[in-house]
Amino acid sequence: MLSKNNEYDVIIIGGGATGAGTARDCAMRGLKTLIVERLDFTAGATGRNHGLLHSGARYASTDKESAEECIKENMILRRIASHCVDETDGLFITLPEDDLNFQKSFVEACLQSGIKADIIDPKEALLLEPSVNPELIGAVRVPDGSIDPFRLTISNIVDAQRHGADVLTYHELTDFIFDGTSIVGVKLHDKAGNRTVEYRSKVTINAGGIWGYKIAKMAGATVNMMPSKGSLLIMGHRINNMVINRCRKPADADILVPGDTVCVIGTTSTKVPHEEVDLIRPTADEVDILLREGEKLAPALAYTRILRAYSGVRPLVASDDDPSGRSISRGIVCLDHETRDGISGFITITGGKLITYRLMAEWATDLACKKLGVNAKCQTADICLPGSEKHKDDNAPHTTAYKAAESRHGSLTNKITTGDNYSDSLICECEGVSVGEVNYAINELHVHNMINLRRRTRVGMGTCQGELCSCRAAGLLANSHGCSQRAKEDLASFLNERWKGIAPIAWGESLSEAQFTSWIYEGVCGLSLTNNEDIQ
Amino acid sequence: MRFDTIIIGGGLAGLVAGIKLTSEGQKCAIISSGQSALHFFSGSFDLLGYNGTNEIDNPIEAIAGLDAKHPYAKLGASTVAALANEAKDFFASMGVRLNGDASANHYRISPTGELRKTWLTLDKHFACDSLESLSLGKTLILNIDGFLDFHPHFLSDGLKRQGVDCHVASVTIDELQRLRTSPTEMRSANIAKVLHKDDAIVRLTEKIAEKSQGFDTVILPSVFGIYDSLMENYLVERLKCNVKLVSTFPPSAPGIRLQMALKQRFQNLGGVYMLGDMVTNGHFEGNRLMDIHTANHKDIPFEADNFIIATGSFFSHGLQAHLNSICEPIFNLDVTASGERQQWFDQNVFETQPYMSFGVVTDSNLHPQIEGQSVENLYAVGSLLESANCLKEASGAGVSILTALKAANNILKR
Repeated sequence: MLSKNNEYDVIIIGGGATGAGTARDCAMRGLKTLIVERLDFTAGATGRNHGLLHSGARYASTDKESAEECIKENMILRRIASHCVDETDGLFITLPEDDLNFQKSFVEACLQSGIKADIIDPKEALLLEPSVNPELIGAVRVPDGSIDPFRLTISNIVDAQRHGADVLTYHELTDFIFDGTSIVGVKLHDKAGNRTVEYRSKVTINAGGIWGYKIAKMAGATVNMMPSKGSLLIMGHRINNMVINRCRKPADADILVPGDTVCVIGTTSTKVPHEEVDLIRPTADEVDILLREGEKLAPALAYTRILRAYSGVRPLVASDDDPSGRSISRGIVCLDHETRDGISGFITITGGKLITYRLMAEWATDLACKKLGVNAKCQTADICLPGSEKHKDDNAPHTTAYKAAESRHGSLTNKITTGDNYSDSLICECEGVSVGEVNYAINELHVHNMINLRRRTRVGMGTCQGELCSCRAAGLLANSHGCSQRAKEDLASFLNERWKGIAPIAWGESLSEAQFTSWIYEGVCGLSLTNNEDIQ
Repeated sequence: MRFDTIIIGGGLAGLVAGIKLTSEGQKCAIISSGQSALHFFSGSFDLLGYNGTNEIDNPIEAIAGLDAKHPYAKLGASTVAALANEAKDFFASMGVRLNGDASANHYRISPTGELRKTWLTLDKHFACDSLESLSLGKTLILNIDGFLDFHPHFLSDGLKRQGVDCHVASVTIDELQRLRTSPTEMRSANIAKVLHKDDAIVRLTEKIAEKSQGFDTVILPSVFGIYDSLMENYLVERLKCNVKLVSTFPPSAPGIRLQMALKQRFQNLGGVYMLGDMVTNGHFEGNRLMDIHTANHKDIPFEADNFIIATGSFFSHGLQAHLNSICEPIFNLDVTASGERQQWFDQNVFETQPYMSFGVVTDSNLHPQIEGQSVENLYAVGSLLESANCLKEASGAGVSILTALKAANNILKR
């Protein structure tokens, strides 16, 4: 139930990790909170990155401040988001073509930023991580890891709601409501209902990632953001167990991150105009670069099937005193538009990285509390996210599906119906997703369509890319909507969305599988895309 | 080892050619990797169902409008018509009853409830000549409890749109319930196997009869038998109402049954079916293929007067896509494939995908080419062929069956 008179202390715009974290923080400090997202949670850069739990080592040489933030947040997330984190550790390897002298200054910089960095023998590195390029001449072990941004974000949303926050997805900001120079509310387009709705608040926080540029503009403020496109590839299985980085200045395709059943190689870096941020997709050239460079980290990439390619946009922010945009930091930018632009009741939180989302949320919430005259301490670094609380359920079933679900939902797994044949039957065999888990996601995790469902449960994310599971899942969605026509349209959109990630890498086995999928859905089933609108 | 004809590929096209040749007294071998499109059979054979998004009523007439490189255009409309009749007789002689006619498409219903134009539909499976002729009466769609690869609600939705009075329910028996305790077992082929045992089908039929009382038609998932069609016959005999089967998501039980029946027929006629082997290369002399080698029989060449390649499209690895090129991997036959990788695809998965029409170039007698030269004792058949977009046209089975028969006829004429 939304607030009766549509009034809030704070409205947060943007359902990425930062927005979700801010909603959680605000709600935990007792603010009456609403978070709005134009598409689905994690639809932007949050769901389109490496899923790397940065140790900060990568930034240690160039950006000490960011590096320190990273390692601090890294340690916090291992505590509060343990069910989203895989503590793999990482290697920074030096190859024959790299300068081994860089290693020394790299390690020094790490230590100065408080990042544990141990030089290890290349032979030991090969034992620790057998997939690493055996030609390496140097290796440093750092506390990198991997983090699931989908789980992390949803977990923040679940906790925000537990603390009374309201949540709206598929609601797009169309305008602000002003009172003089103050922002006092928002006008939203409710996409499902196709209507305009208004909500009022004392403070509005712009957590729109790269889209925050347009949001700020709508409010009358200019934030100097550079959209920077990065493309990545998901490989068909988990080649490596540790994160593998190149020990050199950051460049294209120099990080390989394991995550769940797969691993991700990335990224590239290209500036794109603001008008194109909704249209980006990986190019053939980027795919070629990623493979060429990626093979140098782990030669097995050359003969591993690629599942899909995708691109995200980093919201890089130029500092206010450098309009040329040359001095770009990966650091956090929290703007008080009242002091900066004379627009009161409006805050922008941007810059940063996935791993510093919590700190970004803390800064934004601190500022919101200051404006509201609320004196409440931030507790998000101390209290575990839902799913990460210590739990032990002696009655938990020993099925693989339950274990797979537990790795996704942590202590919340007990909300999944299990123990009867129907609930335990598998929808997605690649990822071990049961009927019970799908129904839990539909009922409790804001699932309106198949793409939402994929982000919540990994249905269709595995090796088969939704070949068979997507229709089973669509069947369950049809039951819950009570409308099979909608579920069928949704299924078509889902398959189209899967294809967008496959097309850039469709050769070899990927093309064989893609053709098989088309044969089943378009051929045998006669499915077509009637509603050409992109659902995200 | 020496044969009259060696067929590479043991799917629908390869088996049809093999049966035709052995039944005429040839000594044949089929080398199969095990992939067959019949495993995701829709219950119907398509000949030519669509021109773009337009439905085709008479496939034979529509051949005139096809690209000159299309396999049907190479055969010519009158040959297609003759071969289509031969195909129907071919399956009838095997005891596979199919309904339909090459000069008048009918509709099948897809597992998601779409009506699709098609040529021949398996007996007892849902088929209707026109939407107006859809006289099902009060209809019950009955699923097997917990079977997730059949979607009664999608079907019911599709039929209701056509004005059918449709209801949905499910049935089960103890054995099928036990199947459910392992979460991956509830798939069509496993259900069929359970039903083959003891009197399972008898008890399930009783349950179905109970549920379908008062209905004119009962629609069931096509899971009744992978070894034979006795269970389907039993169902129809026992149930008082009309019985219509609808295909499920893969694996397709009637598809597996058909694949096994074709293979059995081929072997009964004396054909040698080598499963799980792969042809690695061939030895050519002039414009003739002399012999081939396989992965399992490394040093032993397989010699034959004629060869047929029926290895299918990408999903069965008859065609292979590399980073920047498309090839036919066994003999490196000439293929049509246009442009750079980016041009193989449309960004919308439901649009026409150029890669779907890529395939092996042949002359009008289905001889493929190497560097522009036809190989005179090699025939290419089935979805390996260029120019047919089987998916968009709904022509997959037709292209496979007719080109296979054509190649076999050509070989027999020689």
